[in-house]
Amino acid sequence: MSDNNILLDVQDLKMYFPITQGLIIQRHVGDIKAVDGISFSIKKGETLGLVGESGCGKSTTGRAILQLYRPTGGHVFFKGDDLTKLKGEALRRKRRQMQMIFQDPYASLNPRMTVGNIISEPLEVHNIYRTKAERQERVQELLRVVGLNPYFVNRYPHEFSGGQRQRIGVARALAVNPEFIVCDEPISALDVSIQAQIINLLEDLQAEFNLTYLFIAHDLSVVRHISDRVAVMYLGKLAELADRDELYNNPLHPYTQALLSAVPIPDPVIEEKRQRIILEGDVPSPANPPTGCNFSTRCPRVMDICKEVDPEFRDLGGDHWVACHLY
Amino acid sequence: MSAQARAGLRPETEGKIFRPRRTLWGDVWHRLRRNRPAMVGLVIIGLMYFTAIFAPLIAPYEYDKIDLENVRAGPSREHLLGTDELGRDVFSRIVWAARSAAFVSITVTSFGLALGTFFGALAGYLGGWVDTLIMRLGDVLFAFPGLLFVFFIAATIKPGLIAWVKAIGLRELARSGYVDYLVVIIALGLVGWPGLARLIRGQLLSLKRRDYILAAQATGVPTWRIMWRHLLPNAMPPVIVAVSGGIGGVILSEATLSFLGIGLQPPNPSWGAMLFQYYGYWRTELWPLLFIPAAVLVAIVLAFNFLGDGLNEALNPQLD
Amino acid sequence: MTTVLEVRGLKTQFFTQDGVVQAVNGISYDLNEGETLGIVGESGCGKSVSVMSLMRLIPMPPGKIVGGEALFEGVDLMKISDDEMRSVRGNKIAMIFQDPMTSLNPVLTIGRQVGEALELHMGMSKSEARQRTIELLEMVGIPSAADRVDDYPHQFSGGMRQRVMIAMGLSCNPQILIADEPTTALDVTIQAQIVDLVKKLRDEIGMAIIWITHDLGVVAGLADRVAVMYAGFFVEEAGVKDLYGDPRHPYTIGLLGSLPRLDAERGRRLVSIEGLPPDLIALPEGCPFYARCNYRIDRCETENPPLRLVAPNHRVACWIDVTTAQPTR
Repeated sequence: MSDNNILLDVQDLKMYFPITQGLIIQRHVGDIKAVDGISFSIKKGETLGLVGESGCGKSTTGRAILQLYRPTGGHVFFKGDDLTKLKGEALRRKRRQMQMIFQDPYASLNPRMTVGNIISEPLEVHNIYRTKAERQERVQELLRVVGLNPYFVNRYPHEFSGGQRQRIGVARALAVNPEFIVCDEPISALDVSIQAQIINLLEDLQAEFNLTYLFIAHDLSVVRHISDRVAVMYLGKLAELADRDELYNNPLHPYTQALLSAVPIPDPVIEEKRQRIILEGDVPSPANPPTGCNFSTRCPRVMDICKEVDPEFRDLGGDHWVACHLY
Repeated sequence: MSAQARAGLRPETEGKIFRPRRTLWGDVWHRLRRNRPAMVGLVIIGLMYFTAIFAPLIAPYEYDKIDLENVRAGPSREHLLGTDELGRDVFSRIVWAARSAAFVSITVTSFGLALGTFFGALAGYLGGWVDTLIMRLGDVLFAFPGLLFVFFIAATIKPGLIAWVKAIGLRELARSGYVDYLVVIIALGLVGWPGLARLIRGQLLSLKRRDYILAAQATGVPTWRIMWRHLLPNAMPPVIVAVSGGIGGVILSEATLSFLGIGLQPPNPSWGAMLFQYYGYWRTELWPLLFIPAAVLVAIVLAFNFLGDGLNEALNPQLD
Repeated sequence: MTTVLEVRGLKTQFFTQDGVVQAVNGISYDLNEGETLGIVGESGCGKSVSVMSLMRLIPMPPGKIVGGEALFEGVDLMKISDDEMRSVRGNKIAMIFQDPMTSLNPVLTIGRQVGEALELHMGMSKSEARQRTIELLEMVGIPSAADRVDDYPHQFSGGMRQRVMIAMGLSCNPQILIADEPTTALDVTIQAQIVDLVKKLRDEIGMAIIWITHDLGVVAGLADRVAVMYAGFFVEEAGVKDLYGDPRHPYTIGLLGSLPRLDAERGRRLVSIEGLPPDLIALPEGCPFYARCNYRIDRCETENPPLRLVAPNHRVACWIDVTTAQPTR
């Protein structure tokens, strides 16, 4: 991957959380393998959708990329620099170029800070403007950009609705003019009619500021709508990654197929005719994943080899990556 | 065309907020005001600190003014609550003792709060062995019966403290009795911090996982600023509750120490010392000498407890 | 078709420090035998409160059912005593909730919790109840039910807990099952399992279902009839195919347009509904959707349209006929 257009290149990223036991001396008894060796890259200006069910490690992936959790292994190259090697002040400075939008608009804003202070904090800590007046002007401009009334700069987060709060979160992320934003389920806590507002806003901002998104979500319809390419994650690993249309029209991995068939379509006529692939059972624990393919315990097309050999994540041609023994 | 215009958004309608404007602390005050015991407590506490500040103006006599012509006198125009066996005006001593209580409570609480915040923040934010060390130290302090430990500290540091004060050339101070205050403050402050440290640590540990802290980290906010701007302000509500309830405890502890003779020594005015001094008058016609300081003490401790409960409800509205 | 439940003018309010929250503002509907009614709406639209009121499970105070009746088997559920209500609840009308963890008691085994209702309402002995519990757990697809009956809730996954809840709900052969966002907390593959299960059980047992959800996708494949709620009102109610194929209320149209769909053509811009729902403490005098509506006319600001029949089996609360009218903005 020597493409100049690559903004973010994730190589064999691993994020394990140790399980310890013991009252005084903590013995290491195992690991929760939240992210277990995933690789992908994101081109400049593109949106990569990362979908999966709860506990599959998609949010952890976003946080490990931004070094909010320090990865257990692997590399994250952002514009050529390996973020996993950066520390302290060097990493802090780098944060100006990469930001995050959070899932829960209630939890992600400090309840004791005014909206103005929340949005101007990134400007202050990165010394972007010299004077307070300049910063205030920028805050007002940001509020306008995300569709909020600049008049509300002195209000507290609890005075806003969920959608408005999410706009505040977007304004905070935009404040420092980042190139890359991790959107961690930015709409799943919002109501349907408000979701569309935020999706449209994110799309418009991307066009206007040439942003690159990693869009993490569990809702396949939303991901299909906003992404250029889509990666499907299951139990800490990537199952499939392809161009958006390719993935939705020609899903290869049995998990992707099941996931797509499970998404309800708001049309009773279509729903009547649909054949669902109902998966058996639950997702295994990431502390004790199955041997071989991690989907083998639920896969409707499981073969003997699947229970022994972990399938390689490989390109089947046309940038369609799959980890499955069927192909 | 701006993103906002294309999104078809109009800030005027989009930003509409329906409920009347209220700040977070405004909300707390609103709820506190409806709590009658807490408001009564607040008035009593206000009265005590007012008395403490203006003691020279309120008290008709100095706390140690001896009037040998009026010994053990009953209430009169000159002596509102009568006099004690040395002819000292009891009302004046009650008023001046408020000053002792106020001074001790504020300094001890600040001292304990500073230590507690410092150690609690250190333990909660850094974690690891620092956390283990601080918390085990706190556990050890906790394991002693509190008052016994205070006696121990008070008794051990006092001679050293007096010697030190003399050594740095403040003979007058050493003789004046003000050193007693220092002994009480140090002893109570040293005992008070582990509870607060544990509280703050617990708060930080739970707050540290909040999304807005993660958001601050993702933004590149430096660690010290996350501590000051994000963690500590949000950790404060339970600390405020603990401290407001704790001040009553400090006043009671000071009284206990003084009652037992290791706190403020006569002639320093202290309700506790007065209780000790007058407890022989129980079942005599001079019983009010004992009753009045006791009643004042009870009222003030109760006032702080009521306020603490009220603040707890006001700051954690899910309780009602 | 026989009607099992007739709701008329149900009205619930909450009396809070900030004012009176008008949560449910006079809704009326019939539920027929074996029919599945979907009630769809966004958070705060009153959809949950409306069914909690039916079951008389509103916290009072601050809540109060200020009006309306709900006729079930000839009696008005709003008027009967608390004791009589208890014998209806969990017995003839069962309910399952969004969060299966908090609706199960963590210190009792699954067997005890399911069996309790059987002993209480069906008068079964302990051993009979246990046997029936195992059957029920098997029926809702819990593997090796006989072993798992003595497990505690935390030993089950979210999807399995919801199955247990369904088993509890169905234990007394209810005539009506009320499901309050039962799949919202679940992953999409697990949601598919649960919806599949409910459909199967409905066909076997034949109970009527009221399914509360914010997800227009789920009810499309499940409900016979759908009601759309907004600010405590039913704004549209129709057979499922009519509602999706021929929506007549601007809010319903907006909701359907704002959904990204798996089967939509690519590059389509989502049609968002501008603004926010009204504050239920200060409801507007006219149509509650007025401020956000693309078809509004002057009349809408002052007069709230009643729900009226516009086509067979299709009721809409709107002054405008959207099939002919042009958007006014």
